[in-house]
Amino acid sequence: MTQPFELNTTISNLRDLHASDLSLYDAIYLGNITCRLYEANLLEHLGDLRDAIATVKAHGLKAYVTSYAAPRNDFLPKLAKAMAVAVEAGADAVEVHNLGVLKIVHEAHPGLPIHVGGFANVYTDAGAEVLKQFGAVRITPNYELSLEEIGQIHQQVGLPMELLVHGKMPLGISDHCFLLEYEEAWGMKCPDLCQQDLFLKQGDWAMKSVGKGVLSGKDVCMLEHLPRLVAEGHTRFRIETVSESPEYRLEVGRVYREALERAFAGTDGVEERWWTTLRRHARIGLCNGFYFGRSGMEYLGVRPDAVASALRRPVAETTDYQAQGAIR
Amino acid sequence: MARFFSRAARPILLAPAGSPDAAKVALQAGADAIYVGLKGWSRGGAKSELTSEELLDTLAAAHAQGRKLQVALNTIPRQSERRYLVRRVEELIGLGIDGIIVNDAGLMAELHTRYPELRITASIGCAAMNEADVAFYRDLGADAVVLPGTLSADELYAAAQVPEVLIEVMIHMVEEFIVLGKCWMPSYYRLNATPLAELHGEGNRLIGSMKRGGAGVCFKVCEHPWVLSLNGQDVAQRLLPSRQISPINALSDILDAGVDVVKLQGRSLSPDLLAPIVGRYRRAIDAWEGGGPVPALQELPLEPSWTVSRR
Repeated sequence: MTQPFELNTTISNLRDLHASDLSLYDAIYLGNITCRLYEANLLEHLGDLRDAIATVKAHGLKAYVTSYAAPRNDFLPKLAKAMAVAVEAGADAVEVHNLGVLKIVHEAHPGLPIHVGGFANVYTDAGAEVLKQFGAVRITPNYELSLEEIGQIHQQVGLPMELLVHGKMPLGISDHCFLLEYEEAWGMKCPDLCQQDLFLKQGDWAMKSVGKGVLSGKDVCMLEHLPRLVAEGHTRFRIETVSESPEYRLEVGRVYREALERAFAGTDGVEERWWTTLRRHARIGLCNGFYFGRSGMEYLGVRPDAVASALRRPVAETTDYQAQGAIR
Repeated sequence: MARFFSRAARPILLAPAGSPDAAKVALQAGADAIYVGLKGWSRGGAKSELTSEELLDTLAAAHAQGRKLQVALNTIPRQSERRYLVRRVEELIGLGIDGIIVNDAGLMAELHTRYPELRITASIGCAAMNEADVAFYRDLGADAVVLPGTLSADELYAAAQVPEVLIEVMIHMVEEFIVLGKCWMPSYYRLNATPLAELHGEGNRLIGSMKRGGAGVCFKVCEHPWVLSLNGQDVAQRLLPSRQISPINALSDILDAGVDVVKLQGRSLSPDLLAPIVGRYRRAIDAWEGGGPVPALQELPLEPSWTVSRR
């Protein structure tokens, strides 16, 4: 019997791939979309990329190869090679965030399934329809969209929508890395800088820094709302672990594997042990992203303790920029 | 409607106009064309948009001087709002505007199909950064694509080689840490739904979302100080990198690369601030066209927070 859903995640390099237990996932996105200099980024190390695809497929999983979110001209030749390697090595699909790359990939590999990523700015059914003509078979809508809006696109266009159900949500991508300023002060060089546990804090909220990009400080968590996602016909789910440890990948993956199986079986209920695991891995707390039409860091649900943040007390004691009116 | 520009023509100086007064001084200072926001539908912010009446007057003034006017409609409308916006575009075409600036690939394709003679520019919010992006938006029906002034002359040259599409460069702009068009930090922090009067309860502006703000308002959270935490310890207080760029001293290289339109950012600029910027670029373009040296200008200083780039 075919499984009714897909749970996937992201891995940037071979080291992380080998350190991770993949058994909870159905598919893996390979590569780092943020930076060419990310440690052994699979998109830059094409021998590693071949090995990674083979490893993922040897586990019986689907291998997807992602691509850069904001590529300049000088990225394109290498990226085209990476996409060619993906095809040769048997990747099941590629993910694109840049519409120029979409055109390149579609023209070079006309039959290749293309997943459109969250940085491609799909906000409307009309936008999704256009990308379908360029080979898109799956779309991660822009993270700012509500479930209602995503449902409209899904119905109008007929393509599966991939939803981030847990993990730190991308909030922006940069052409520069300010962490390089700290190489001397911290005694640490690129590419080790962005591997650290780095947060940018402003009052009682925060974002996670990954050098050339920022992620939500809180972990998006849709655990309570999986039955609604299932009822609305969604079947493709991502746990974003690009900046997380293998332990996170394993333990959070286990929670969602169980929870999704239960939701698809029509059984209600959220296990307390699931909450314990998710809270332990979310230092800044949990949020729902934009799925309910609210600001991205809000949490709606029956678990108010989900928003508990290790950030609140120490920051309030140091500098409260919000109270000082620094945030308009 | 005739095509707005052609590649063979001289470089066009395209200036922002966030008010009728700003439009007036931009034209006086030598802009070949101006772009304005229509109330409720542009990224520029409510204070920098024109009402329909102001738009009509400004259009008449521009045309009386032989200049052009583009209308920025570069927020992304929801499905229910799109029908309304498409009707508004038809009205604008009837008024004789010279082009529109849009942000959403779907809307762009729809407008190109409906109005094939309408000149469409892919907004800076489309975040085009490479020659393949330019070709993509051309394929959807864009006549011109806006690229950021942060690209090198070599990159602009490559973009200018893409056939049948014009290259606009936002040469005078604020370079923020996050790439324009790829940022939703503000709405992560706060998102306010405000009814849009024009839609009589059928549509909301989502203040905080630069893509769907209507009023184009973000909360500029990036401009405030951050505490940088490393492995649980607060190690620095800093701003995210941001700087004003205005590489007028590199204008010859940029124009030599084949750029068609020199675009200035700043619909929020007051007339007294806008006029000298437009005048400076007018003189520089004229000097380049005359084969002389572009007038030297002291480069604007970099913000101390600006950082290195390693790619």
